[in-house]
Amino acid sequence: MVVGQEVARFLFQRIALGALVIVFASALTFFFVNLAPGGPASVMRFDVTAEQREALIRQMGLDKPVTQRYVEWVAGAVRGDLGTSLLTDEPVTQRIGERLPNTLALAGAALTLSVALGIPIGLIQALRRGSVLDHLLSLISAIGLAVPVFWLGIVLILVFAVSLRLLPSAGVTGIAEDTLLDRLRHLVLPTIALATTILPTVVRFMRSAAIEVLHEDYIRTAASKGLAPRVVVTRHALRNALIPVVSAIGALVPRLLGGTVVTEAVFSWPGMGRLALEAAQGRDYPLITGLTVVVAAIAVATSLLVDIAYTRIDPRVRLA
Amino acid sequence: MTRLGFVALATLAAIALLAVVGPLFWTIPPEATNPAQGLAVPSAAHPFGTDELGRDVLSRLIHGSRVTLLVGVAAMLAALSIGVLVGAVAGFNGGWLDALLMRFTDGMLAVPAFFFILVVITVLGTGVATLVLVIGALSWMPVARVVYGETLRWKTAEFVVAAVSLGVPAPRLLVRHILPQALPSLVVSATLGVAFAILTESALSYLGLGVQPPLPSWGNMLQRAQQYVFTAPALALYPGLAITAVVLAFNFLGDGLRDALDPRRRR
Amino acid sequence: MKLGLHTLVFRATSLMVVAALAIGCTSATQPGASIAPSAQAGPIVGGTVTIPIGADPTLNPWSPNAFVESLFINRVLFDGLTKPGKDLAPAPDLAESWTTASDGLSWTFKLRSGVKWSDGTPFTPDDVAFTFNDIIKKADLGAQNAASYAAVKAVTVVDATTVRFDLSRKFAALASFLAYNAGILPKHVLAADPLKTTSFNKGIPVSTGPFKVEKYTSGQSVALVRNENYFGPKTYLDKIVFTVVADPNTQIAQALSGELQIMILDNKAAVERVKSAAGLVVVSRPLVQYYWLSLNQTDSRFTDVRVRQAFVTAIDREAIIKSVELGYGSIANSPITPALKAYYDPSLASKYPYDPAKATSLLKEAGWTPGSDGVLQRDGKPFRFTMDVGQRGVLEPVNALIQQDLKKVGVIVDLNTMEWNAYIQKDVVRRDYTATVNWWTYPSDPDVFPYYHSSAAGKGFNIPGYQDPKLDDLLVQGQSASDLDARKAVYKQLQQYTSEVLPYLFLWYPQEIDVLSSTLQGVPELGLRDAMHYVGEWWLAKK
Repeated sequence: MVVGQEVARFLFQRIALGALVIVFASALTFFFVNLAPGGPASVMRFDVTAEQREALIRQMGLDKPVTQRYVEWVAGAVRGDLGTSLLTDEPVTQRIGERLPNTLALAGAALTLSVALGIPIGLIQALRRGSVLDHLLSLISAIGLAVPVFWLGIVLILVFAVSLRLLPSAGVTGIAEDTLLDRLRHLVLPTIALATTILPTVVRFMRSAAIEVLHEDYIRTAASKGLAPRVVVTRHALRNALIPVVSAIGALVPRLLGGTVVTEAVFSWPGMGRLALEAAQGRDYPLITGLTVVVAAIAVATSLLVDIAYTRIDPRVRLA
Repeated sequence: MTRLGFVALATLAAIALLAVVGPLFWTIPPEATNPAQGLAVPSAAHPFGTDELGRDVLSRLIHGSRVTLLVGVAAMLAALSIGVLVGAVAGFNGGWLDALLMRFTDGMLAVPAFFFILVVITVLGTGVATLVLVIGALSWMPVARVVYGETLRWKTAEFVVAAVSLGVPAPRLLVRHILPQALPSLVVSATLGVAFAILTESALSYLGLGVQPPLPSWGNMLQRAQQYVFTAPALALYPGLAITAVVLAFNFLGDGLRDALDPRRRR
Repeated sequence: MKLGLHTLVFRATSLMVVAALAIGCTSATQPGASIAPSAQAGPIVGGTVTIPIGADPTLNPWSPNAFVESLFINRVLFDGLTKPGKDLAPAPDLAESWTTASDGLSWTFKLRSGVKWSDGTPFTPDDVAFTFNDIIKKADLGAQNAASYAAVKAVTVVDATTVRFDLSRKFAALASFLAYNAGILPKHVLAADPLKTTSFNKGIPVSTGPFKVEKYTSGQSVALVRNENYFGPKTYLDKIVFTVVADPNTQIAQALSGELQIMILDNKAAVERVKSAAGLVVVSRPLVQYYWLSLNQTDSRFTDVRVRQAFVTAIDREAIIKSVELGYGSIANSPITPALKAYYDPSLASKYPYDPAKATSLLKEAGWTPGSDGVLQRDGKPFRFTMDVGQRGVLEPVNALIQQDLKKVGVIVDLNTMEWNAYIQKDVVRRDYTATVNWWTYPSDPDVFPYYHSSAAGKGFNIPGYQDPKLDDLLVQGQSASDLDARKAVYKQLQQYTSEVLPYLFLWYPQEIDVLSSTLQGVPELGLRDAMHYVGEWWLAKK
């Protein structure tokens, strides 16, 4: 067996492919945003004269042809320099670096919550299949998928922040105190809102995977051999049912990242989603392109990680 | 199909009927303002009350349903067309084109679609057509995979091989023989696709990027109503419930169809 | 399926209805909130005031990226030579006094002595000269508001406490303009790169105001602490924190839950809810701002003054103010707002009452008569045009109302709602539009030259492109008149004349709604932007 070689080749292929995706995405975004209507916010404001506009465009180098600017951008990007934000004059990498941890924290928390709740709920539904509880949970899942996130977010703020005053409504930390507990309290509402966009899917996948596994012969055998139901479920059924769920979770990560845009807007969460909105509205070309690169890189990395996780859970699966 | 699926289908049929013939029976124009009657509570003249400009909420919901369903269905059709094309071409041709298209599909699947929808729409501007195309262009990948799988599965089937040997041209082969096999899966994808598009439009509306007023859509009604959550929460309730109900119905219908059409998944 | 899922669906949705309705009704009762702490003796030292802003600020008043969210904080940090007085007339700030030469072509400012920057370096006249000569007058930098100082040739340092502004033409409003986002910047910090030094703009700037920046957290907040080097009296507040809260509803939620002490209520629709909350005070403030409808004068249909007068008469502006501004505003018939008390002519307020019949007859005089479908036509062509709607603030509902009002007199308007950035490019940069609604905010002075003069048509701020020698003459007279009475007379004429010829269709003067915690005292009765100049007088009463 030359597993090591096989893994190395697989990794190399996937990373090369990922790099290609990133380059493609950056080129597409760069030309698309630069050629689209509008211009940087400093130029497109009401109270700026024509002379000022010209001066600003020259200053930002936007009078140069797009192709030349792209070549310059690529030359910088390969050295890790994604350019300078037109809105703040700060390096794009710095602006993204400030926001990325917040988005990862929010997305991570929502993913953790969805998995932590979704797997047991799905399992319970599978075990109590057809019961009132099963139907009820299915219905709640379905509604969760159908409610617009921002609407849910506003309701959560109104109930938990305004009426009950239990939790803060916005931001990552309070002003007076920046403790871990305070950060966690701020994380609660946005996490719940974001988790509803994927939790139902996790539950459904878990439920159907568990149902299928529970019908497999070896589970029936294990049960008939008199193994305790708890052992059967945790030791045999759960592990096997997890395989399709893990791949489903991988597929959910892009949706999760997309969902952060709206969630961050509702809860004034200073993450990548809000940054993307500001960048798009302000036509901050280097920032939009930089964000695209980073988001694409995250997507590529996640799908790679999921594939690797897949092989760890199910030793029968080989990397292809 | 399950009973729930039938309920969903009936609900959707009712809403579609209302969207089509509703304006014939409820003739108040959705854009007619009457500021003196702003934020009126429900009455015989305005069963759902009026919004801040005195526009009839019922009429806006009915006309909004047209726009919302149109965006949902059209975006789904766009996604379906792209998906079928990519999946069928890749599956049928094989070779490097297959590899390229399916890698591309995988790449697109890994992309957080909403992030790009946001950038593209902000920059391109918000028209109904743009919305439909952009949502479609970023949600065709599951369809492509389904069609690809089916094409591979049926490409080697006897009747297809026979047809090929008879010299049936590839496009006709696809349309006549292979796609019908994929139809059940496609119908399911299409149903879920409409739900996705409707939710996406409402999320975009929240960011001011959805269907633009004065044309009413449930998404932009909900967005406008947000201003009134503190003083007239019912305004946010109607479009919110409408969106939830329709998306729920499409999802249930999709599940129902999946169970009914796919023997492997029958419970 | 045994239970009947549709029953469940029904029950669940009714629960949601009840929940949502309950939220609307629940009022935030605050057991600990005091009624009004007026009984307390005097100002108390201590406490933090939190103010929401919509986005990350740029801490440099002249940066082209200093947008509206930056104004509040920059007015606290960077003193100008003057500041808006509590009557909005220019009041001393870094300058103690000023005089105008008899020919009106040079102004001399006597600077306050002993002023220090927040880093301890002495403030000098060189800083003033630097700000004007090396930033504002350097066209390549594209400094924000630079166009306002077109008349300034150069600033000369006369002695250690005196600077002189040399002008190319008379500019009576100079002292008022210097009070309007015209903070002085430190030469010793910014000489190398005045507008793009990010450790300054997005970090810890060196400033002269009563508070200085303690910490700038991108996307979250900017915390200010007392500037111990400030020349004025010690501030009562210890800290001011500007928090970035993009969603206006979230801002309201935070005010209701006591997380904020003062804010502008951008979502006026929520005013009743905020009023009913314990512990909050709601006040309205006049603004130097007016909304207008611009009819592009390159379109021959709009050059007839009767058409413009007919439109203003056909638009129910009272109804707009009531439904969109919830009554917080008054009808405008000229560019001079009621906030400028010394100049505003109230007699014009009732000039064009809402009267569709009158509008119809005016349009008839102009040759527009109804066709068989009720739509007005002239020479067989229907009266129909497109209004571009920028997606911001109240513009969308206002346009919806105007569209319906004009429809009632037979004029068909198509609304084209656009994303703000693309809208500016089309309507302002390219002037490729037929009609559009927007607003102007300007310094607290009636000098509206930049928005009305013929020379500003096409490329400048004269958006409709209206050109009229008589109006030009009045605008120049206003700039040249030296004493207050002479200026009052000119601007009274200007108001009269603009209300007659309607270069823009004036719509309304908005008011600002400010929400204050009842513990916050000492805030002057000014719009919040102007009140920021007096933050040293604010104090927090004990609950």
